Amino acid sequence: MSTLSIGGQQLDASWFLLLSAILFVLGAVGVLVRRNPLVILISIELMLNAANLALVTFSRQLQNIEGQLFALMSMTVAAAEAVVGLAILVDIFRARDVEDVDDLSELRG
Amino acid sequence: MSTNPTLALLILLFPALGGLVLAGRGWRLPRVFTVIIGPGVVWASFVCVLALFFGGAQGDYTYWTWIKSGSFEVPFNILIDNLSIFMGLVITGVGGLIITYAVGYMEHEDDASYARFFCYMDIFVLSMLLLVLAGNFIFLIVGWALVGLSSYLLIGFWYQRRSAVVAARKAFVMNVIGDVGMILGTFTLFANFHATTFASVFKALPRADNGAVELAAFLLLVGAIAKSAQLPLHTWLPDAMEGPTPVSALIHAATMVTAGVYLVGRMHPIYDVAVYAHGAVAIVGAVTALFAATIAIVQVDIKRVLAYSTMSQIGYMFLAVGIGAYSAGFFHLLSHAFFKALLFMAAGNVIHAMKDEQDMRKFGGLWGQMRPTSITFLIGSLSLVGVFPLVGFFSKEQILGAAFAKPDDAAVQLLWFIGFVTALITGFYTGRMWWLSFWGKPSPQRPVEHPHEAPPVMLVPVAILAMLATLGGFIQTRALGFGPSVVSDFLDKVVTPQRWEESGVAVGLGVLTMLLGAGLFWYARSLRPWSARLPWAQRLLEHKYYFDEIYDAAFVRPLDWLAGFFQRDVEVPVIDGAVVDTGLITQWTSQRGASLQTGYFRNYVLVFVVGAVIIAVVLLARAFS
Repeated sequence: MSTLSIGGQQLDASWFLLLSAILFVLGAVGVLVRRNPLVILISIELMLNAANLALVTFSRQLQNIEGQLFALMSMTVAAAEAVVGLAILVDIFRARDVEDVDDLSELRG
Repeated sequence: MSTNPTLALLILLFPALGGLVLAGRGWRLPRVFTVIIGPGVVWASFVCVLALFFGGAQGDYTYWTWIKSGSFEVPFNILIDNLSIFMGLVITGVGGLIITYAVGYMEHEDDASYARFFCYMDIFVLSMLLLVLAGNFIFLIVGWALVGLSSYLLIGFWYQRRSAVVAARKAFVMNVIGDVGMILGTFTLFANFHATTFASVFKALPRADNGAVELAAFLLLVGAIAKSAQLPLHTWLPDAMEGPTPVSALIHAATMVTAGVYLVGRMHPIYDVAVYAHGAVAIVGAVTALFAATIAIVQVDIKRVLAYSTMSQIGYMFLAVGIGAYSAGFFHLLSHAFFKALLFMAAGNVIHAMKDEQDMRKFGGLWGQMRPTSITFLIGSLSLVGVFPLVGFFSKEQILGAAFAKPDDAAVQLLWFIGFVTALITGFYTGRMWWLSFWGKPSPQRPVEHPHEAPPVMLVPVAILAMLATLGGFIQTRALGFGPSVVSDFLDKVVTPQRWEESGVAVGLGVLTMLLGAGLFWYARSLRPWSARLPWAQRLLEHKYYFDEIYDAAFVRPLDWLAGFFQRDVEVPVIDGAVVDTGLITQWTSQRGASLQTGYFRNYVLVFVVGAVIIAVVLLARAFS
């Protein structure tokens, strides 16, 4: 197992990956169980950042800069996604007060 | 461009222009424009043909290359020679008279129908001129099909009448059978010679395979038979009498139905090589002549009598061109155009005066009341019978004389005998028609007590044709064995000249035929209720030898049954069913699929996450295995 040097200290890479996995699961569960649309959006951000952490970890571990580049890329996408998602939410809130995403079920088949 | 090619093109352009103007604006213009444009363009064409005739024009004028694709090349060319000028004179001259006559005959139509009629007539004249002026097979087919189309449009002119529509459809189908024959014949020729112009095909003939030429000749004959209403594709012509009478006069007597004769004449280099097909032309002609004449004996509709007599006379022309007496056939074409158009138009005068009644048994006694029409009709009738000195005598006896005198061929003598018997029957049925319609006391069932004579616009063309039918014969008195022969001299430059002379015996027989025919014409007067003596024969003839019934049983009803079968058992269950079932299946699956669409965000996310987990597990499992 390789180790990563953080501030002069050596730390095993799997800790970072573990943190990333925990963050991702937290985000996923948040998306699944929370009802407030705003919180769901934040949970999605959490998942994205968990992925970013994993990318950066692997990048350091494999001595390959592409992972970090990809993390930057996904941050940009996350920003764009947040803009679009928030804009949709604002528009929905303008029409009516939504506390629960289950209220938005007009597209039921 | 020099004068002659321009004139040749103008012949076609005038009627085309007339048709276009009348089709586009005719129904909105005042009637006087229709009256001027309709016949006017035909007369303009006539002037062009006359100019070419007197200018002695000859030539194969190529204007541009129409289609070029590999070795297939179709030039836009018009063939001007004595044969096409001769046909052009008949079409535009007799056609002009008939279309002028129609100005009076169609006067009861409303403005739109009036313009439509002259539009169709101009299109017909254009098509017919294209047919005879064509210098290549493609134009010939185009003209050939277009005359079929205009014939269809004109037979069905009164499209509110069911019988007219049915008759038009029948004529069109029969004509298309002929068109297919023509096209296949052209394919055969192209496959062998790789040429579409007449000139190059005829030049290549001597080194051709005889079997292929025979095949092509027979296929072209199918086209000729269908167009000229010869056996066995004749059944459309009597029904075509549903059209207005000027149409019957122009298309179904004077011009279109003689296109078959023209075709055989134009293709004479082919038929001179293809001896079997050439013989078939003569046999078909002779048999049709006799066959149609016998049916004409029992018809009671005046136009149908004329229709059957047209078939019979065209049979004579086929007989003539079939035995190699081309110019005799074309002389009869000319004389037939005169006297048959005359008969139809005079009959039209009667029908017009009788409020569209066509049953001869309901006429009678018109001699005293419609004297000019009666006289012209008598002239036409006697010309049809072939009485000296009318034009019919010279042309018909020349054909019979040529058939009788043809040396070294006993079979042709048999054809002469058929023609001879036909001539006698012609005398009889024509007599019956004339005496029944014009002589005696007026029938009690007559629709009009005091009929009015036709207006001058209808009488003058009839009178001109009557004069032509009276004096026209003297341009060619070959039937008598001496005197001028203008038509033959003119045409023998183009077609194969007749290689033998009529003998003295043939001339004597011709005069005898005339006397017997005229005698039967007279005899028919005293023989009103004649047919009851042979009831079975009358039934046979009244049913026209059951041809319609046979075709009905052999083709129409099986096809109807087949169409019904496909509609009932293929269209509805299979094709229709497949379409309907596709819809039902889509509906069913979409109803099931729609229930997955709950509208709850968490459901979608759950599916998404589960899917992502499954994919991740699969990928991991593959990575570690």
